[in-house]
Amino acid sequence: MKTMDLSFSEEIKRYGSEDFYTCYSCGNCTAVCSLTEKNANFPRMMIRHGMLGLKDEILSSKELWLCYACGDCTETCPRQADPGHYMAALRRYAIAYYEPTGLTRLIFKSNPFAIVLTIILSFILGLFLFTLKPDHEVARWIFKWLPFDVVHDMGMVIFILTGISMVIGLFNMFRHLSGKNQPAKERRNSFFQIMRHLADEFGTFRRYQKCDREEESFWQTKPWYVRPWAIHWTIMWGFLGLLAATTLDFIFKDPAMKIWWPSRILGTVAGLLMMYGATLALWYRFKRITKSYSESHLADWMFLGFLWVAGLTGFWLEIAVAFDSDSVVNHVTFLIHTVISMELVLLFAFSKFAHAIYRPLALFFYFREKG
Amino acid sequence: MEEKQEKKRIGVYICHCGGNISDYVDVEQLRDIVSNEKNVVISKNVMFACADSNQKEMIKDIQEEQLDGIVVASCSPKLHLHTFRNVAERAGLNPYNYVQVNVREQCSWAHSDHPDQASYKAAGLIRAGIKRVSHSEALENIQIKAHKSVVIIGAGVSGMRASIDLARMGNQVFLIEKEANAGGQIAGKGKLFPTEQTGKMVVDTLMDQIRRLPNITLFTEARVAKVTGSIGNFKVDIVIQKAQDETISLQAGSILVTTGYETYTPKEGEFGFQTSPRVITLDVFDRMIRECEGKLVYDKKQVSSVAFIYCVGMRQSKGDNKYCSRTCCTSTIHSSLVMHEKFPRIRALHLYRDIRTYGKQEMLYEKSSKAGDIYLMFQEQHPPHVESSGDQMKITVKDHLTGKQELDVKVDLVVLVTGMVPRTDSNQVAELLKIPVGSDKFYNEIHPKLRPVETVINGVFLGGSCQGPKNISESVQSSLSAAAKINAIIRKETIELEPIIARIDAEKCTWCGKCQEVCEYDAIFQVETNGKLVAAVNEAVCKGCGICTPVCPYDAIDLIQYTNQEIEGMIDGFAQDVELKAREREEGAAHEEGGVMMKDFPQLWRSIMDVLDEGPKTIPQIALKLSQPAELITWHMMTMNKYFIVEPAGIDENDEYYRYQLKNKA
Repeated sequence: MKTMDLSFSEEIKRYGSEDFYTCYSCGNCTAVCSLTEKNANFPRMMIRHGMLGLKDEILSSKELWLCYACGDCTETCPRQADPGHYMAALRRYAIAYYEPTGLTRLIFKSNPFAIVLTIILSFILGLFLFTLKPDHEVARWIFKWLPFDVVHDMGMVIFILTGISMVIGLFNMFRHLSGKNQPAKERRNSFFQIMRHLADEFGTFRRYQKCDREEESFWQTKPWYVRPWAIHWTIMWGFLGLLAATTLDFIFKDPAMKIWWPSRILGTVAGLLMMYGATLALWYRFKRITKSYSESHLADWMFLGFLWVAGLTGFWLEIAVAFDSDSVVNHVTFLIHTVISMELVLLFAFSKFAHAIYRPLALFFYFREKG
Repeated sequence: MEEKQEKKRIGVYICHCGGNISDYVDVEQLRDIVSNEKNVVISKNVMFACADSNQKEMIKDIQEEQLDGIVVASCSPKLHLHTFRNVAERAGLNPYNYVQVNVREQCSWAHSDHPDQASYKAAGLIRAGIKRVSHSEALENIQIKAHKSVVIIGAGVSGMRASIDLARMGNQVFLIEKEANAGGQIAGKGKLFPTEQTGKMVVDTLMDQIRRLPNITLFTEARVAKVTGSIGNFKVDIVIQKAQDETISLQAGSILVTTGYETYTPKEGEFGFQTSPRVITLDVFDRMIRECEGKLVYDKKQVSSVAFIYCVGMRQSKGDNKYCSRTCCTSTIHSSLVMHEKFPRIRALHLYRDIRTYGKQEMLYEKSSKAGDIYLMFQEQHPPHVESSGDQMKITVKDHLTGKQELDVKVDLVVLVTGMVPRTDSNQVAELLKIPVGSDKFYNEIHPKLRPVETVINGVFLGGSCQGPKNISESVQSSLSAAAKINAIIRKETIELEPIIARIDAEKCTWCGKCQEVCEYDAIFQVETNGKLVAAVNEAVCKGCGICTPVCPYDAIDLIQYTNQEIEGMIDGFAQDVELKAREREEGAAHEEGGVMMKDFPQLWRSIMDVLDEGPKTIPQIALKLSQPAELITWHMMTMNKYFIVEPAGIDENDEYYRYQLKNKA
C-alpha cells in the first residue's frame, strides 16, 4: 500500500514543470523513448508517480537518471504535458531532496534567491582570495574590519560543509536506490562487470547515442560531432581533463609555466573540448533548436554559463601568462576565473552539477542487473 | 365473405437487374412459363424494372391492356414496393393490386452457386405472386379524424420545450405536471455546461414563453389516471390534487411522454453511503457548491480535498443497471471546475472506470486535468474502498494507470457520482399508455435509429430522458423531433393509415373473445350488430400483425392483403410443377474452369484485357488508356473479377488504388 500526497504535484511544479498533470497516461512517451526497457514504463510512470505524490517511488528510481532528455517524448505527447522537461524537473527535485541542507530547494525553486546567493558567494570568495595574499593593500584594508583568521576559517568551513553535503547526498541516494527492487543474486553482475559497463558507458555514451537514432530525429541529418551526446561528452571529458591538469599542478605545487609540459598540454586540450561543448550547448539552448533545448531552467543556464566563463577566462589567462603580461585587466580576469571556478566547486552539491555524481550511481544500479 | 372476382388481366415483369438476376436466373424461360399462366396477358423481361423508361412502359401497358393486376419479379419490396405501387397509382390502378416478388435477394444472390435451382425457386415465387395478385383487393387508406391537440405528460425541460413548439404550430397543448411547479430536475440544477446558465434560468426562460402562449394549458399537481381512445382521438383523464381531487377529461390527437428520469440513490453502505460521514451524492455536492460562500464547508469542516467516485450504481455487470448513464462524467467534471472557480486550491480526485466526455465535453476533461485534477482508474471488480479515518475519509483504490498498485489517500469529502435511472412510477405510465419498456426499464421506441421517438402505440411519442439517459440538449432534441412528428400527423386533422389490418366477418363471429385476449394492441372490442355480440377492429389501433387470425375457431378473421384466399393461392402457385429446360450456358460450364469463353465478352472487356496484357494496372490507369469514365471501368472490372478473369495484384505505390492483373497471367 502506498499513500498518495495530493500536494506533491504543486511541489514539482516549483521545480519547473508546468503542465505535466495534463497527462492522461496514454503511454506514447514510453512507446517512443529509445531508452525504455522491459517494464520500465518511463517516462509515463514517472509522471504518474509525480501526479499521485508517490515521493518514494521517485526518489528510489534509477530510471530518472537513465534519461538523457532527448525530448522525443515531449515531441509526441498529445497533451503537451512535456514529459522531457518534467523528467529534468524531477531530477532537480531529487538533487534537492538528497542534499541535506535544504539549500538546493531554495536555489531551484526561487530564481532570485539563486542569483543573490551566487553574487554574495562570489563576494565572499573574493574576500577569501585576498586571504591568500594578506600583504596586498586591499587585503590589509579588509583585515582592518575582518580578522584574517575569521575569513580564512569561514572559507574552509564552507568548503568542508559542501563536501559533507555531497557525501550525504550520495549516501541518501544510495539508501533509496538500494532499498528497492534489487535483482536476485543470480541476476546480478559482479562489481568488476559493473565497472566495465560504467567505463564503457562513460567512454562512449553508448546509451546516450541511442537517443539520437530515431529515424525522424532532428539530429539524424547532422554530423555526429554536433549531436547532443557528443556535446555532452566533450563537456564532461573536457571538465575532467581540466580537473586532472589542475590537480597535477596542485600536486607539483608549481604551476606549469612551460607550454609543452604534459599537464599544460592536457589542460589546453581539455579546455578546448569543454569550451567547444559548452559553447554549442549554450547556443542550442539560446536558439531553442529542438524541443529538448527549448525550455531552460536557470539551473541549466548557470551551470553551462559558469563552465563557459571559467573556460574563457582560463584561456585568457593562458595567453596572458604566455605573453607574461602583468596588467590590472589580467588580474581582474584571474579573480573572475578563480571565483567562478570556486563557485562551481562550492555549489557542486547544490546545483545541476550534482548530476555528475548521481547519474553514475544510478547507472551503477542499472548495470548491476544482468540485461 | 363472398368470393371475389378473380382478376382476368394480369401483367408480369421479370427484371434482369442488369445481370444481377439474369446471370443466374433463367429469366427468358421464366417469362415463357409465366406467359402460359392463366389470366396473364402480358409478360415481359426488362433490363431494369425500376428505370424511368420501364415505368412509363408499364403505365402504358396498364392503360392500353386494361390490366387489373401487376407483378414485378425483381428485388426486395423494401427497396421498390412503393416505386411500383406509385406506378400502378399513376396508371389508374389501385396500388394494392400490385405484388412484388423478390427474385434477387431470395434467388439469384442467395443461390448463385446453383443457378438452375435459383430459376426453379424463382418460378415458384413468381407463380405465387400471380396467384396472390389475382385475389388481391383494391384498398383505400383508412382515414381518421384527429383532434388538433396534444397531451404532454411531464413538464420538465423536454416537455416544456416541445409544448412551446407544438403551440406555436397552432395546436392546443395540455401540459401535465405531477409536481407543484414545472421545470422537473433541471429547475434544481446550478450552472450547466456549456452555456453556464443555471437550471433555474433555463426553466424560467421556457416558463416565460409558455405563459405567453394562450393555447398551452399547464396542469400542476396533476396525474394521468386513465387513457382511452387511439391516434387522433385519445381521451386522457387527469386528476388534479386539491383539497378535493378534481378529474378533468382531455381530448388529444396525440400524446407525448416526457416523464424524465430519477437519480440513482446509492444503497446503504455502498461506498460508505449513509454509514460513513462525509459521503454524499453529486446532487448534494452541487447544492453545497451553490450554497457555500468563501469556503467550502461540510459538517463544520472546511473541505480541501474531494474524491469523486464515478459509475455508482451504473454499468453493473451483475446488477440491473447495465447501461452507462453517459451524462454523469461530464456533470462531475463540470462540478469540479465550478468548484475550482469558486473555491480555489481544493484538490480533486476522480476515481473513474472510463471517462465518457463525448463531443465538445472532452474540452471540460482537458480543462480539468490542466487544473490539476487527478484521475485514477479502477475496475468494477476492484471498487475503491471507503472508510472514515479521523475527521477525513480514507479511500483505498487499485489504480490501473499506476500498474494496478494499491494506493490510499485521505480526503475531506467523498462524492458519489450517481447516474440516471427510470422513474419509480414509470411502470404506471407505461401501463396506462401500453408503451413497451426495455430491459433497462426505460421506455422503448420502435427503432433506435430509424424511428427514434415513436412508440409501437400509434400516436404516442417519447421525448427526453424517459427513453434512456440523455443530457439536456439531447432531451430537447428528441422532444422537439417528437413535436415535429406529432404536428405532421395532426395538423391536417385527418390521419391516413395503411389499410392492412384485421377484418372480422360478423356473420361467422360468435364472440368468444379469444381474439381480444391475444391482441397486444387492444385493437379488438365488442359490438352488437343485428342483435348479436361480435368482435370489431379499431382501425386506428390495429397494426396488422395477424396474431388474431389463427386463434379464431370460426375462421371469422382475415388479415387484409394476407387473406386465406391469397395465402392458399400463393401456396398453390408455389407448389405447381415447374419444368425447366437446363439452360444452355457455356459460361456456366466455364465457371468451373475459371474463365468465360471469349465470344461472350463485351468488346470493352477485350479492350481491358488488352491493356492488362501489358502488366498490372489500376482502374484509373485503365480508364485513362481506354478514354472511358472510371465508373464504367470499375463496374466492368468488378464483374470481370467476379468471373475470375482478373484479380487484384496489390495496392499501388501511393497506397491509393488496387492494381489488377489477368487471372491466368499470375
